[in-house]
Amino acid sequence: MENFNIAYHCTTKQCQAGLGDKVAMRWISSTFERRDYTFGEMDQLSNRFANVLQTLGVQAGQVIFTFLPKTPEQFTAFLGSLKAECITGTLFSNFGDDALLDRLGASEAQLVVTRKSLYRKIARIRDQLPALRTVILTDVAEDLSADVLSWERLMETASDEFAIPVTAPDTPSVLHYTSGSTGKPKGVLHCHRSILQQSRTAREVLGLQANDLFWCTADQGWVTGTSYGIIGPWSLGVTQLHIGGGYSPQQWFELLQNERITVWYTAPTALRMLMREDQMAYSEFDLTHLRSIFSVGEPLNPEVIVWGRDTLQKEIYDTWFQTETGAIMIANRPGIPIRPGSMGTPLPGIEPGILADDGASLPNGEHGNLCVRAGWDSMFRTYLNNDSAYASKFRDGWYYTGDMAWRDNDGYYWFLGRSDDVINTSGHLVSPFEVESALLELPEIAESGVIGAPDDLLFEKVVAFVNFHPGTEFTPELDLKIRLHIANRLSSVAIPQEVVPVETVPKNKSGKIMRRVLKARYLGLDTGDISTLED
Amino acid sequence: MISLEELTPVFKQVFDDSSIVLTRNSTADDIDDWDSLTHMNLVIAVELRFKIKFALGELQTLKNVGDMLDMINKKIAKQG
Repeated sequence: MENFNIAYHCTTKQCQAGLGDKVAMRWISSTFERRDYTFGEMDQLSNRFANVLQTLGVQAGQVIFTFLPKTPEQFTAFLGSLKAECITGTLFSNFGDDALLDRLGASEAQLVVTRKSLYRKIARIRDQLPALRTVILTDVAEDLSADVLSWERLMETASDEFAIPVTAPDTPSVLHYTSGSTGKPKGVLHCHRSILQQSRTAREVLGLQANDLFWCTADQGWVTGTSYGIIGPWSLGVTQLHIGGGYSPQQWFELLQNERITVWYTAPTALRMLMREDQMAYSEFDLTHLRSIFSVGEPLNPEVIVWGRDTLQKEIYDTWFQTETGAIMIANRPGIPIRPGSMGTPLPGIEPGILADDGASLPNGEHGNLCVRAGWDSMFRTYLNNDSAYASKFRDGWYYTGDMAWRDNDGYYWFLGRSDDVINTSGHLVSPFEVESALLELPEIAESGVIGAPDDLLFEKVVAFVNFHPGTEFTPELDLKIRLHIANRLSSVAIPQEVVPVETVPKNKSGKIMRRVLKARYLGLDTGDISTLED
Repeated sequence: MISLEELTPVFKQVFDDSSIVLTRNSTADDIDDWDSLTHMNLVIAVELRFKIKFALGELQTLKNVGDMLDMINKKIAKQG
């Protein structure tokens, strides 16, 4: 049987193909230290980590997470875990206690790889995580206790040889949690077969070639960061750049120029922020070697495409996929004329449809549910421990994406919005329910309702409507308290950009928050049918 | 004059981390949770604590905590 193991394809197979000495990852730290890792080194380091997991008794099929900022260990832990056939999750390093508890608890994670400074968050909730047996810290030289261990010590003593099992295509692989409009976040579980679509799209959409230097700016906490910041490019033997620092226009353009990056995959919010940098003299940077720029996360506004053409003399190609789809499904790409503002056209083998709520197929021009015919290679396998939620996403052989869209007469798809209340802020999905729940933990707040409102930079911003208990004054100090609470309980991406005090939060007769009414009021629009509004 | 010792509790509050030790050379890369979104929390917290106001984006240009401290002290001195 062919081996579908993702990590095998990303490391060992590249070495077998003679690329052992080729640079797999050019790592540039936040202090600009540069270190090249060859495919041979990545193979050996990930082998070591696979051996570490086995020594610690972690079994195939069990869940391990990385909870790290961008560091080299992120990549070796991810690949080593997949080699050992563990279910491998990545957690955004700015997650707060509640977000961690939801994910580590629901998945019954056995092991987490993190840093000492981030471990404090896990330590606070560890008594609620009975399945979590081991924590590995990447920045301590010695073990802190019997179950808080040193990465350095473990890796030093582990063998750099590991016999990767011949992995069947349906073996569970990567786990990312995604937010819905109600309930807890759901664990989107992929299987090793996904590499087929991730590899194919890295080649056919991103156009990656053997001598490219590819830079995907996404954090590994999100699906883009694993599908295209790890798997796709390395499955093709392509060198990737990864950096330790955050958004920095000057540094980013110096990197694009000096490292001679050929293909760049980034996010609309980052591109919009770059557009606003009036101090930047973009024409002074030599970007002749940069062949293509791609974008993903939320719709790319036409102004950004025009800016790319005028200022950078480059095309910017918007792509569309979701955590659940695992890889690009619909895209603008070289060789096909860009329609600014559109999602692009479907990839070969991918069959999208625009369907009415009753499942009827809608003709071109009509607005409806964006669906994808089930069965593509990178289709998620389930929501971990929540098969009913998974089943609810499929009807008559179609996966309902939760996005609304329409198709023009030339087959281009155009995004309209979400069919639910999920907020897309800077490409991150935020659950209004989770923010509302976290707000209610504050003693000053009696009721809360949260919506996403249009924002020029973030695409959508989180707006919280809050009914304070009598006697509570909404002061700047309380505003800060709310912001810090959300950042530390959930994540920095969920921080309300605006808190609006209200006398009551509109609910229907069964007590459900009517976010649509809040949104209409906020935007100054007609609130529509409010016959179900409670008295 | 505001000192590092007076600025440190603000960082500890914003980043919910009592172990933070600031030096003049500390940067966003030394504190795991310091990103562009939590940066806004830091700006608001510093403004409230020291009763000063930053112009939009003013703190983005600073290289490290030392620069931030100098700017805070300049603003306080101006208020006189």
